[in-house]
Amino acid sequence: MKLSWLKFAFYNTLRNRRRSGITVVIAALGTAAILLAGGFAYSTYEGLAQISARSTGHLIIGKPQHFTSDQDVPLQYGLENAAALQSKLLTDPAVRYVLPRIEYSGLISNGDKSTIMMAVGIDPDAEFSVKGPTLTLKEGELLQTESAEAEIVLGEALARSLKAKPGSSLTLMASTTDGALNAVDVTVKGLVSTGVPDLDKRLVYSNIKTAQKLLNTQRISSLGVFLNSMDATLPAQARLEKTFPELTVQNWLEQAFFYKSVRDLYNRIFGALGAIISVIVVFVVANAMAMAIIERTREVGTLRAMGTLPGQLIRSFSFEGMILGGTGALVGAALAITIALLLTIFPVQMPPPPGRSSGYPLLITIDVAMYAITVFMMIALSMLSSALIARKTLRQPIVDALAHN
Amino acid sequence: MSLAPAIELRAVHKTYQLGAHVVKALQGVDLTLQRGELLALTGPSGSGKSTILNLCGLIDLADAGDILLNGVNIKLYNETQKTLQRRDTIGFIFQSFNLVPVMTVAENVDYPLFLTGVPAAERRERVAAQLKAVGLHEHAQHLPDALSGGQRQRVAIARALIKRPSLVIADEPTASLDSHTADQVLDLMRERGHAEGVAFIIASHDNRLTSRSDRIVSLLDGRLQ
Repeated sequence: MKLSWLKFAFYNTLRNRRRSGITVVIAALGTAAILLAGGFAYSTYEGLAQISARSTGHLIIGKPQHFTSDQDVPLQYGLENAAALQSKLLTDPAVRYVLPRIEYSGLISNGDKSTIMMAVGIDPDAEFSVKGPTLTLKEGELLQTESAEAEIVLGEALARSLKAKPGSSLTLMASTTDGALNAVDVTVKGLVSTGVPDLDKRLVYSNIKTAQKLLNTQRISSLGVFLNSMDATLPAQARLEKTFPELTVQNWLEQAFFYKSVRDLYNRIFGALGAIISVIVVFVVANAMAMAIIERTREVGTLRAMGTLPGQLIRSFSFEGMILGGTGALVGAALAITIALLLTIFPVQMPPPPGRSSGYPLLITIDVAMYAITVFMMIALSMLSSALIARKTLRQPIVDALAHN
Repeated sequence: MSLAPAIELRAVHKTYQLGAHVVKALQGVDLTLQRGELLALTGPSGSGKSTILNLCGLIDLADAGDILLNGVNIKLYNETQKTLQRRDTIGFIFQSFNLVPVMTVAENVDYPLFLTGVPAAERRERVAAQLKAVGLHEHAQHLPDALSGGQRQRVAIARALIKRPSLVIADEPTASLDSHTADQVLDLMRERGHAEGVAFIIASHDNRLTSRSDRIVSLLDGRLQ
């Protein structure tokens, strides 16, 4: 029998079950839409962050000018004694791999046709192991660190342009560090795809030795440092900056221009979407409460005549809003979780985004903080809108409210 | 030591603006109601009965004159204090019962005690006793819709009396009831009012009220006859 404002509010939500049901359903769908859109954005951010980190390393170490200045000749600001630096870096407990890289450009030719290449000299075994799903072998084999031969893998579009296949002989041409033109004959080991057609038209991977031979140097461009986890990035960056004050240590985010652009864009799109859906939900709850309050005008007058303080009635109506909005938000959260889990069991493939050749699985991240904030906001907005509607109604004189039919 | 009257009206005036017309609802009404007294307020429609009830119930304001509730001029009260006075010292009984349909009979009766913050155990006891006094203890867990008109009005009486008010205001409490039930309700109000020392001011057209009231006051055009 014990009466409480919450119990009274709960009773009141059951008066017009159909209207309450519709309000809860709309609040649930709105909440689910916000959480699914947010989860998709989070999933995209996580995916792009992984791609960025796999592409450059969690940390990139080079000479300061490497990051700030244009080079007059290749590897003008490259690192010397890379092996010693590599060994020292590997002593850090958070460091998993340290990958040397030489970024260079030049021409690649099959004898009949020459075209521009964007090449990267790498330590193949480690580099390809960290690339993971961001690089797909289409034909042939990947490079191997121990191989004595001058070998390359090509982007599949570049290979098509040069009519090259695994086993084909090609020539790489580039300016040396002295400014002279140099050429190296190489054998195509395999064809790969990054999923970005424009990149695949220019991409060449060679091993470090081949690149150094072509550029006539012992330097490398930079070292990519791969850590045990993404979370270790900032602490490791701080440690390495202290250990190597003469070098610049950048983290993956500083080089992830695409990631930052997508995040900015998605934040705005999904932020606006969330705001619109929230406004709709608030209007629906407010409308339901307004109808309920108008229907109960005489009853409200009676309760006020009996000595119920306006604040108590506002509290009661806020609780009604809380029950409607809160139930909707919780049902919506459950719906979003269910859909997110179902997508892991029954994958849905998304079409390739602009500028890419391959699609990606639709994944929805279940982020506890996002769920908590969304549910809290839904409840708070529902309570606030109900309170505002009730407050306005309570300005009516009691005598008029009692005379209401 | 003599107690102050439950309610006292001194030269009270009240006008209403109805479009371009000014309606003089009360014109210098003086009225005193002692504790335990049952006063019948009669008069034709528009004579000012409901206006007197509204003013006595502190839910409307007089244009002129003084109203003393338990000896205190209500002009001294702000809106919140008036609300608290209604909560603590005034009970209301309405023509159409005005029970909260989603609350059980017991919860409806409990509501005034809930508002005043009476401990749950004491509330339970008082609600049970009050329902027994009006003969509805077996219906405690029923919703008002499951009751007859007479039973609902008895719930309303129990609700008005549970907080032990000094004044109960009843507006046409028998208008929605058949004659037999109306008799029972009037008897109940008289019995409970005398038993608990509560002043009743009842506006009614019902002639049966005259034989049960301690005093009858007639109104015509906003003046006492």
